[in-house]
Amino acid sequence: MAAFWSAHRTALTRTAAVVVFLFVWEAAVRWGGVSPLFLSSPSAVTVRLIKVFANGSIWPSLLATANVAAWGAFLAIVVGVPVGMAMGRSKLVRDTLEPFIMAMASAPIVAFLPLLIIWLGIGPTSKIALVFVGSVFVVIVNTESGVRQIDPRLIETARSFTASEFEILINIVVPGALPFMIAGVRLAIARVLIMVVVAEFYAATVGIGYLIFQAGSQYDTTLVFVGVVILAGTGVICNAALRALERHIAPWMHTDIAP
Amino acid sequence: MIEVRNVTHRFGGANKPSLPVLDDVSLTVAPGTFVSLLGPSGCGKTTLLRIMDGLVQPTSGQIFIDGSQVRKPGRDRAMVFQEFNLLPWRTALHNIEFALKLHGVPASERRGRAIEALRRVGLEKFAGFYPHQLSGGMKQRVGLARALSTNPRYLLMDEPFGALDPLVREVMQIDLLKLLDAEQRTIVFVTHSVDEAVFLSDRVIIFRAHPGAILKTLDIDLPPRRFENDEEIKASPAFVSYRNMIWHLLKEQLRQPA
Repeated sequence: MAAFWSAHRTALTRTAAVVVFLFVWEAAVRWGGVSPLFLSSPSAVTVRLIKVFANGSIWPSLLATANVAAWGAFLAIVVGVPVGMAMGRSKLVRDTLEPFIMAMASAPIVAFLPLLIIWLGIGPTSKIALVFVGSVFVVIVNTESGVRQIDPRLIETARSFTASEFEILINIVVPGALPFMIAGVRLAIARVLIMVVVAEFYAATVGIGYLIFQAGSQYDTTLVFVGVVILAGTGVICNAALRALERHIAPWMHTDIAP
Repeated sequence: MIEVRNVTHRFGGANKPSLPVLDDVSLTVAPGTFVSLLGPSGCGKTTLLRIMDGLVQPTSGQIFIDGSQVRKPGRDRAMVFQEFNLLPWRTALHNIEFALKLHGVPASERRGRAIEALRRVGLEKFAGFYPHQLSGGMKQRVGLARALSTNPRYLLMDEPFGALDPLVREVMQIDLLKLLDAEQRTIVFVTHSVDEAVFLSDRVIIFRAHPGAILKTLDIDLPPRRFENDEEIKASPAFVSYRNMIWHLLKEQLRQPA
């Protein structure tokens, strides 16, 4: 028993915390006199979650949100990785772009939404743009630090073996920075979800954000939680998948145990 | 033959006060010989080796290898580094294959040559291991195999055993001499270990520091195939007298205020 506890201590503690939390929530609504109108309940949310998937009513919202999130994230990676690499390799590029990246990192990007709607309309394009603007700098900053942390001795070694600049880029810089790029994408996913929901609150006729907003205005607390659970679940799954990918790609960063 | 002609090198830019590292160094390395560059830290011996490889351009002076001036790294040279410098995301085998690829070896030959190189350093069973799974001595064997796999006429070694513990270091010295025994390769070996320099070399070039300059060139007249009786050699009067002579020179230098 003691051995089992020490081997799975973290997992057991975490599971217990979640179970207790869900139980307290359920109890507060069932026996504590808290109105389900304010708090819904874990059981109600679970039943409703199964229902919206079973009757298919969630799919239009889910597809619309997934479309915006996927395009926004895709563009953030496709633009962010090369820009971050250029910033990591060239001081000129770094000094030129640094003020803009710093502004993007500290400014509330959602404030751009009205402007993006004026430029691009209220269709998916303006939302994709917001997701892109709100997450690209995370990819840029992480790629840049990934490139800059590469051991210069590895680059010099390749140069000593007569590598060209292009061969160094492909064989040293890209694989060396890859774990950082994946970490950047992982951090960007959280911002992607925030941006897509905000955009759908503000200007949408379909989407998970829109669904949450509508449900809230109709005091359908359960449906609000259904939307939140779907978004949180997506975030957790993406995070875990990318972490697993990091470990798979860069085993030397996570282990020093000789077999 | 490597010819170093009046090489002077300074660190720092044109506008900043610069630090002299090498001051008018000239030397030649004859084909097929093992030459050590020996000196205290700050004597510019590593910088001189990097200049020979073409990684660094000297502030003034030239390097000629087999008559043509060195301006960048070439396929006639290969370097072994103090910190091994293996790519952590490639296995031992793939690290060597990468060097062969950079040297323009056709894809069909790389695997065979990389395995042969690992076999020569006794690591063929570790071909699929990543650097983080290997000990320091094994990593440097891979580093040596990588350099030898390209079959360089000149092997440039930058304190290759400096990061290893003393026991492993002695074994590596013996194994290096065994590996090179049947060959006519030219070696330039940077070290600050007097014993290592005397044991390995045909010629030791002793440097002084701040700025780096040649203090003395000493030919080591010990029997060949020293790996066969290393303990005897190291206890022999000739070895001891070479070692004492070099120690004396270096101590004298270090006592003088710069």
